[in-house]
Amino acid sequence: MKRRDFLKASQSSILALPLALNGINIGAFHNSVFDDILSAEGDRVFVLIQLNGGNDGLNTIIPLDRYDRLMDLRSNIMIPEQSVLSLTDTLGLHPAMSGIKNLFDQGQVNVVQNVGYENQNRSHFRSTDIWKSGSQATEVISSGWLGRFFDFGHPGYPNGYPNSDSPHPIAITLGPSVSETCQGLAANFSVAIRSADSLVEIPGMDSGDTPDSHYGQELLFVRQIKEQTNQYAEILVEAAEKGENKSQLYPDPNTNNLADQLKIVASLIAGGLQTRIYVVNINGFDTHASQVDESDTTSGEHAVLLGWLSEAVAAFMDDLKELGLGERVLLASQSEFGRKIISNGSLGTDHGDAAPLLVFGQCVTAGVTGDSPDIPEDVSTPDGVEMKIDFKNVFGSILIDWLGASEAEVRSVFTHDFQHLPIVNACQATPTREFDQQLPQVYTHPNPFFENLQVDFSTSGGPVQMILIDGQGRTLTTLLDANFPAGKHQVDLSVPELPPGSYFYRLETDQYQHSGSLIHL
Amino acid sequence: MAGFSTFSLAPYSGEWNIKQAAHLLRRTMYGPTQADIDQAVDQGLDETIQVLFKITELPDPPLVFRAEADTVPLGETWVNQPYDRAVDNQVGSRLASLRAWNSGVLLNQGMSIREKMVLFWRNHFVTSDIRDATYVYQNLTLYRENFLGNFRQLAKDSTVNPAMLRYLNGSQNTNFRPNENYARELLELFTIGKGLQVGEGDYTNYTEQDVAEVARVLTGWRDIGYFQRGEGMVQPFFRSFAHDTGEKQLSHRFGNATIQNMGDQEYSHLIDLIFQQDEVSRFITRKIYRWFVYYEIDEQIELEIIEPLSQILRDADYEMGTMVETLLRSEHFHDNYAIGAMIKNPIDFVIGQFREFSVDLENDDHQLQYRLWLQLARLPQPLEMSYFDPPSVAGWKAYYQEPLYYRTWINSSTLSFRYLMNQIVINGVQVRDHEIKARVLEMIETIEEAEDPNKLIESLAQYLLPHGVTEQQRDDLKAVLIPGLPDYEWGVEYQEYLFNPEDEELKAGVENRLQALLTSFVSLPEYQLS
Repeated sequence: MKRRDFLKASQSSILALPLALNGINIGAFHNSVFDDILSAEGDRVFVLIQLNGGNDGLNTIIPLDRYDRLMDLRSNIMIPEQSVLSLTDTLGLHPAMSGIKNLFDQGQVNVVQNVGYENQNRSHFRSTDIWKSGSQATEVISSGWLGRFFDFGHPGYPNGYPNSDSPHPIAITLGPSVSETCQGLAANFSVAIRSADSLVEIPGMDSGDTPDSHYGQELLFVRQIKEQTNQYAEILVEAAEKGENKSQLYPDPNTNNLADQLKIVASLIAGGLQTRIYVVNINGFDTHASQVDESDTTSGEHAVLLGWLSEAVAAFMDDLKELGLGERVLLASQSEFGRKIISNGSLGTDHGDAAPLLVFGQCVTAGVTGDSPDIPEDVSTPDGVEMKIDFKNVFGSILIDWLGASEAEVRSVFTHDFQHLPIVNACQATPTREFDQQLPQVYTHPNPFFENLQVDFSTSGGPVQMILIDGQGRTLTTLLDANFPAGKHQVDLSVPELPPGSYFYRLETDQYQHSGSLIHL
Repeated sequence: MAGFSTFSLAPYSGEWNIKQAAHLLRRTMYGPTQADIDQAVDQGLDETIQVLFKITELPDPPLVFRAEADTVPLGETWVNQPYDRAVDNQVGSRLASLRAWNSGVLLNQGMSIREKMVLFWRNHFVTSDIRDATYVYQNLTLYRENFLGNFRQLAKDSTVNPAMLRYLNGSQNTNFRPNENYARELLELFTIGKGLQVGEGDYTNYTEQDVAEVARVLTGWRDIGYFQRGEGMVQPFFRSFAHDTGEKQLSHRFGNATIQNMGDQEYSHLIDLIFQQDEVSRFITRKIYRWFVYYEIDEQIELEIIEPLSQILRDADYEMGTMVETLLRSEHFHDNYAIGAMIKNPIDFVIGQFREFSVDLENDDHQLQYRLWLQLARLPQPLEMSYFDPPSVAGWKAYYQEPLYYRTWINSSTLSFRYLMNQIVINGVQVRDHEIKARVLEMIETIEEAEDPNKLIESLAQYLLPHGVTEQQRDDLKAVLIPGLPDYEWGVEYQEYLFNPEDEELKAGVENRLQALLTSFVSLPEYQLS
């Protein structure tokens, strides 16, 4: 976006205030990762499939090495062993998922086991918030992890968007509403569509400044959506007209809603839309009752849902292959929690903890990440599957390996001790990054911060200095300058009064130097 | 930023004209008509509140409108009549009748807060996907009868309401097969709310232990089953053999209270126990605030609005009326900055446009009437709101999901649909031999000096938009009404029509211009705000 337009647009804008009026120009300072991701050259697409309701992982990816134990604990809903589709010696798939079984055999699936987060919260709403915000269970963050990622490259969005640098939607949600995962600090980066031609241009006149009030804020929001709608309407129709679908595997329209959504995604990618993120949804996984049919546990509500998932993903992957786009697209499924190990008496399962997460694409590391779920000897009614892999490590790794983020950026998106997982790599055009296990473990939190800021770091002893840098690269203040003994440290920083905006820090020890970004509200 | 200019709950005594009256009515009714607003201006704030809060007679029950699909004769009600499995489509037809009838109730309610409160309760005590229309009717009636009733009693009645027993698996909750679905939501969403997690399984206001124990308290209740073949309403019933008779031990969050040996009264006792915690009053007061005023509750709102209002609610032993009334009378509610700060929800938007644009949906033929109402009932769905099927047990995201809240309703897709819908209603659409169409000429009949295009536009703007129009907007709108013509030309044409109201050509000419004007009005982002 041109700076001149940006300022012009921001004159009547409250939302643009935090990042615009303080004269911070992130684009001039920032490294090129975001330019790459969001430009026409960066052509990798990530599709997030949300399995809403909390998927029963134990009946999806069935641990055959725990089968007898599970038979004791959830006999009324267990899939007969002979019906399970075999993946590896120890893992099988629900029989409704033959399409995904084929993809696994072709090396296009990575099953990440026992994914969740520490202190699992079993409320749908809170847990969904945690997944979408990418927060810890103990902190409340109202932006989404993809949104915070986009905030770096698009300060001031949606003022002045689309523009010549960023002509297409940043992210697209298929379905009812914008994606909370794409919620940035000031605005949501996703555009909700039902189909490529579902947007219409809304004529009309807008004039005048918006007043400085809640009314003014809401008005400004509607105004921006309206302007965006008008601009994106045309682009989407154009992409859809150029795009096409080639797979014969799609089911009839309106029989599998997820397949309908993914079909639209494929045609938009094929039509040249430069959008990098798509979010699709499938509802109904909250299977407290009738998860399986009493007479035949391979059928029932869960079987229908997994069948839809499998059919949709298989058709989409086939379509991408036929369209020659297979190496450009990665998909991952997520669900707010798994379910309890012990089933309930209603042929269903109640809210639990961790569950497997599936990653699809020609460029995944084929196979399984992590071990079969532990089924403890003393398992009791409230127990869920124990978390072994934090979901933030999965998405952080995808940000790095697929969307080109640096590790420092990932650390600033997630206030979390990030660990890389080799889930994606097969078709890396650039050499795979070396992940040095000795990398300095530095992260600041919360991010964004309001008044208080903490830094965690480790040192083998000696002086540690941390400075705060503004958008022009000027050193503003020294945040920390002291000697520390060897070990891990957490320090409260005293931050001077600052205008809201985007900042950077550099932390130096005798052993390493580490930089990261900070957003101040 | 200045969000509000006052946080006072003292009764508002400032200016009272169209803008203030329309604000109160937009928030408490579905789309006030010009006549409603004029009446409220005349009455003043006090009397308007009295009228809004009056207990009104319940609407007559829904009727059979598809002759072939019910054994109950056409034009009679099915709500207490048995189902007959031999009749095709009876289940679907009764649901359709209910949906149609309900949108008729919303459309035709007089000046009353009742229907906004009924939807509030539906958004609070959510039920969804209920296939037996009798269940749904009975559930709705509970909230219609008690729209400003006692919150504690509503929590009790909702707990054993057949639709609720179905929706949250209460009917499957037995001593030998406990199902804690309802127990969790009762605490998390219906009464005390979830606080921060402060320890393993401890959510400040309750613990995981409480969820499990509450589930045990509630064992034994079930509904009678869908599609009964006997007469009468569907009652919940208690099976003592399926009830857990052991001691239920609540956590320290409820003073380590225990419940035992009270059979079918345990649920009632449990809810009394929960309501002993003051947090319950704050939880529901915040929801009322978000429903009627604004979504953001900061420390100041919490301290100066929520806390005193929740005290009022407790003092009233959880009778809702005084608390809601205090809020709607307050200086804070009538703050100029509060006006227009709410994005209309789709039901408000849809029903509202029919009333604001004087659309005639009355038809003497009750079968056709129901078909028209059914059309109306379908309209909010593409805008992502379905009266009978909230998206989840937490209700609609607009009222709880930060940071978007009300903004959830508006995205490129839904905004496009809203605009298309407005256009159709303004320009007219034929359903059988009934025309659904904005009566634009009637709309301007009562406007003084309507022959002056500036006055006309400014008056319409006062009724349709929270803060009227700016001069620039007025001029732009005028350019739509009389493109490229001097102002007086509108007066000439309009008065010519007034003198010759039977002249179809003159009428069509004026009507076309007004339709174009109204289409531009609804394309303004301001129109989405209440």
